[in-house]
Amino acid sequence: MEFFKQFDASIEGKLRWRVNGGFIIAVLLTIFLGFSSWRNARLTAEDASWVAHTYIVIDMIELVSKHATEMETSARIFALTGQEPLFAHYEAASGAVAQDEDVLRHLTSDNPHQQRRLDVIEPQIRVALEFAGSMAAKRHRTQAVPDASEILETEKLMDAVRATGQEMHAEEMRLLTERTQRTEAGRKVTSFIIVAGIFVGAGLLAVARLAINREIDVSARVRAQIGTLNSGLEQRVEQRTAALESEITERKQTKQALAEQAEELAQSRLAVDAQTLMLQSVLDSMAEGLVAADEQGKFLIWNRAAERILGYGPADLPPKEWSEHYGNYLPDGVTLIPTEQLPLVRAIRGEASTTKIFVRNPNVAAGTWIEASGSPLKDKGGVVRGGVVAFRDITQRKADEREILKLNNELEQRVAERTTQLAIANKELEAFSYSVSHDLRAPLRHISGFSKILMEEFGSALDPGAQRYIERIQAGTQKMGLLVDELLNLAQVGRHLLRLQPTRLSQTVAEVISILQPDGEGRQVEWAIANLPLVQCDPVLVKQVFQNLLANALKFTRSRTRAIIEIGHTEEEDGQSVFMVRDNGVGFNMKYVGKLFGVFQRLHSADEFEGTGIGLVTVQRIVRRHGGRVWAEGELGKGAAFFFTLGVGKQTESKTNTATAGGRS
Amino acid sequence: MNTGKLDILLVEDNQDDMDLALHALKREKLANNIYVARDGEEALDFIFCRGMFAHRSFERPPKLVLLDLKLPKVDGMEVLKQVKSDLRTRTIPVVIMTSSKEERDLVAGYNLGANSYIQKPVDFDQFRETVKSVGLYWLVINQPPVVEDSQNLARTAHDSH
Repeated sequence: MEFFKQFDASIEGKLRWRVNGGFIIAVLLTIFLGFSSWRNARLTAEDASWVAHTYIVIDMIELVSKHATEMETSARIFALTGQEPLFAHYEAASGAVAQDEDVLRHLTSDNPHQQRRLDVIEPQIRVALEFAGSMAAKRHRTQAVPDASEILETEKLMDAVRATGQEMHAEEMRLLTERTQRTEAGRKVTSFIIVAGIFVGAGLLAVARLAINREIDVSARVRAQIGTLNSGLEQRVEQRTAALESEITERKQTKQALAEQAEELAQSRLAVDAQTLMLQSVLDSMAEGLVAADEQGKFLIWNRAAERILGYGPADLPPKEWSEHYGNYLPDGVTLIPTEQLPLVRAIRGEASTTKIFVRNPNVAAGTWIEASGSPLKDKGGVVRGGVVAFRDITQRKADEREILKLNNELEQRVAERTTQLAIANKELEAFSYSVSHDLRAPLRHISGFSKILMEEFGSALDPGAQRYIERIQAGTQKMGLLVDELLNLAQVGRHLLRLQPTRLSQTVAEVISILQPDGEGRQVEWAIANLPLVQCDPVLVKQVFQNLLANALKFTRSRTRAIIEIGHTEEEDGQSVFMVRDNGVGFNMKYVGKLFGVFQRLHSADEFEGTGIGLVTVQRIVRRHGGRVWAEGELGKGAAFFFTLGVGKQTESKTNTATAGGRS
Repeated sequence: MNTGKLDILLVEDNQDDMDLALHALKREKLANNIYVARDGEEALDFIFCRGMFAHRSFERPPKLVLLDLKLPKVDGMEVLKQVKSDLRTRTIPVVIMTSSKEERDLVAGYNLGANSYIQKPVDFDQFRETVKSVGLYWLVINQPPVVEDSQNLARTAHDSH
């Protein structure tokens, strides 16, 4: 648009200047032509009137001359002939000549030459007429006929008049010519001016036409350009219009869709309202308080229980005033909960939390303990849109907890006391064990030693019976030594500090078999050893377990020509390994399985199988210390199987009692 | 009491144990040069050549000390500790022979520098075997430090006092 304005302005300026200039020139020219024509016309008219005047003067001169001639002629002819009418004619004419002379004088008043000639002619006429008159008068009075001289005289006088008249006539003719020429010249000038004016005008018109044509061309070009621009513009307008139209169509469709949606929405809203009502009923029927708020902290849900527990309904307050308004205190009961720690505020922030809050306000004067669980409300995209907090009155629970805590404390104190007592007892037991191992073994050694020396140095002096008694003494001491050692061992298992480490049980078993090698000397023993896993356990104690179990297996298969001892393991469902030692020995009756793991309990006589009845107790104690369990299966005469787990850290109850029979070790 | 050429210092308070030990040592011909101390104090006096043993010389240390742990006055661990913490006596082999098989005693004994730790077996035959092995090893097989070294060590220790 700017372009057009500039364009228009430049074109307009130039055009206007040219048109105005042309018009001014044309007007000036026209005025000049008009004026010249008018002036020339006037001059010509003047000249023409002068020409006419000249003709009148000429006529007048001729008239004067004619009248004068007629009078003279009348007078002279009367004088000659005496015809009366002529005389009357002479009389009548004499006044007319004078009048004509006056008119002539008046007409030629502008011409001094003619005036002077009038001055000449008038007396000549008068003289001539008077002379003729005098002749006439004479005839009339005397009837005398004029003589020739007189006639000649009259002739002569009249010739002079006629000569002057011709002079005047010539003068006027000259004037006529002059004036006619001047009129002609003026007419020529006028014609020229008119012709020139016409040509100039035509030229101007031509120039104007050229200029206008040029302007028209320029305008045409401009129009063409404007046309092009316009068509571009129009095209764009059309496109835009088309776009707008399609947009409008879309809008209309959208509008329609919106209207449909609005309709659906209205219906859904009805459904939602119904649901909301139901939800509200559900919420209000809850025992737990439920409060939800949007991101700005505007409450969306506040069920009946919430109002009952908190003492207030939803208040239009900013979160920072919630603690004070609802009287939410930290567990100390006096410090208001900082806004940022409130479960709902944390929930709105996107954090889930569980908090114990003490509520006390004018409506809940006694104070209530609540447990509040907050969690963020998220939209489908996972964006937090608010928070919800569910809470319940735990005042009673809190009281119970306090009671439990108190009881616990008491219990703990009692446990501590008991532990101290136990520690003391343990110390005493240790001291006892020590003394057993040290002090009890010493006399045994002495009995054993001295009886041996007695036998060696004085045996020959004793009779065979005495010698047998000494041997019985030695056997007794040996057995007691074994008992003492195993009891001590058992005591040590209890006091032994559990040192757990990854232990390759296959290797442990191999070591044990190598230790037990002498026991199987001279026997056919088949060891079936599975590949045992790496296990987290106390290697020293677990070695003891295998030693006791394998020693038993060796012992109770003594009667078998071919002993088969199987060592294996299986995985239980909970991933625990179950280890097994099975033999094809004498076995045991499952009826007595309960006695298997009791101290000093034996299912076989000492004559059948030596043993103290402590080995399996030791096994059980070690397994239990590992948190595992041990049990046995057996059948009399067919063999026995011992199973144990090393559920380290898991306090699995021992299944000892479910296992059966087979007195051993 | 032979205090001249000494092979074994037996530290034992129990008469029965002492008799059995001596019986076993004699049978193995190891009891020719043996002194028995009946408590820890006597044992220390003997080893450190003081009190009634002031005439003894550090230059003639026992080749082996058989030490019981449960002793009157000064107990066996204390004896071991003093012997092994003194430059003049630390090279003397000390074998703990005790009834106790207490783990803590065992560990403590080795930590203090005991050369062996032996639980006296109840069976006398086994006891005799043990005594024989220990005696043979320390008195016959083991090569003690040369006397000159001991003297140097003794002097150095004296100087440092």
